[in-house]
Amino acid sequence: MKIKKKEIASEIFTGSMADISFLLIIYFMITSAFSATRGLDFALPEETDTPEIKQEDSIEVHVMPGGAIEVDKKGLPLDGLLPYVLERLQQNPEKPVILRTDPEATYGDMITVFDRLRRANEEWVDADGNAKYTDVNGNPLTEIKTISIPTQREIENIWNLLGMG
Amino acid sequence: MALIRGRDRGTGAQIFTASMADIVFLLIVFFVLTYKVEVDKTQMNLPETWIRKKVPEKAAVISIAPPDKGSTIRVSTGEEMALPVSTIEEVITFASTEVAKNPDREFILKADENSPYARVDEVLDALKQSKVKYIFLLSEQLTASEK
Repeated sequence: MKIKKKEIASEIFTGSMADISFLLIIYFMITSAFSATRGLDFALPEETDTPEIKQEDSIEVHVMPGGAIEVDKKGLPLDGLLPYVLERLQQNPEKPVILRTDPEATYGDMITVFDRLRRANEEWVDADGNAKYTDVNGNPLTEIKTISIPTQREIENIWNLLGMG
Repeated sequence: MALIRGRDRGTGAQIFTASMADIVFLLIVFFVLTYKVEVDKTQMNLPETWIRKKVPEKAAVISIAPPDKGSTIRVSTGEEMALPVSTIEEVITFASTEVAKNPDREFILKADENSPYARVDEVLDALKQSKVKYIFLLSEQLTASEK
């Protein structure tokens, strides 16, 4: 007589898989914040190659509290900043721009002006990537070569050096 | 005579769930790949800029909380959660240590747009003293209408 073997069905129980998967989805959705991953880059000068900047050789942009700007001690609207800088750089493309911010102003005020200066790369170049303007020597002018952001301590150091502290 | 009726064949309303597992796993894979731990969770309004460059991953982070949250400075190596520091000297120590490990170390400065510039100036000065070379000022996108 033959005895029938009982087949044991081997199955992986998947009933709870959906629960586990949803739990994981919810966990990753909540913990992965869409963080800001872009910003303005800014390279600090290395102390060894910092050229000495004479005040009369530079374009001084002063950000006042409230966001108003003074360029070379004259008030200018923000839209007038790049045209003014362009005009000055056309005479001497090596001129650095010094961005000084009043301690009473906000970080947002300073960033707005810094961003405007950085836009020179876009505004002075046409759609084909060619320079729209040239300097006195006929060289293409596509960017502000040096934008310097001195800190309050550095400014005070310079004043002390000049004996004005 | 009792009316004999055939059993009602209920048209079973079913939602087809066989592909649910695929969809769910696709979503899990997406979230796992895009998952990034935010080292500094301070809520703030970042300034808006037109020029925005991608910040390097794993760069050290220095955040300045908004003035209404005490303008607290937090520092992070980019891998651990940001820790608050009480003095600017601690920022110099932190940045110098990072620069000693890697002279080209990049730093991300995350500050609220309403932070007084004096506070940001202190941090920038600390970074300059620590011989930091590259700083990224974290920002949101300025829309074309505001340009």
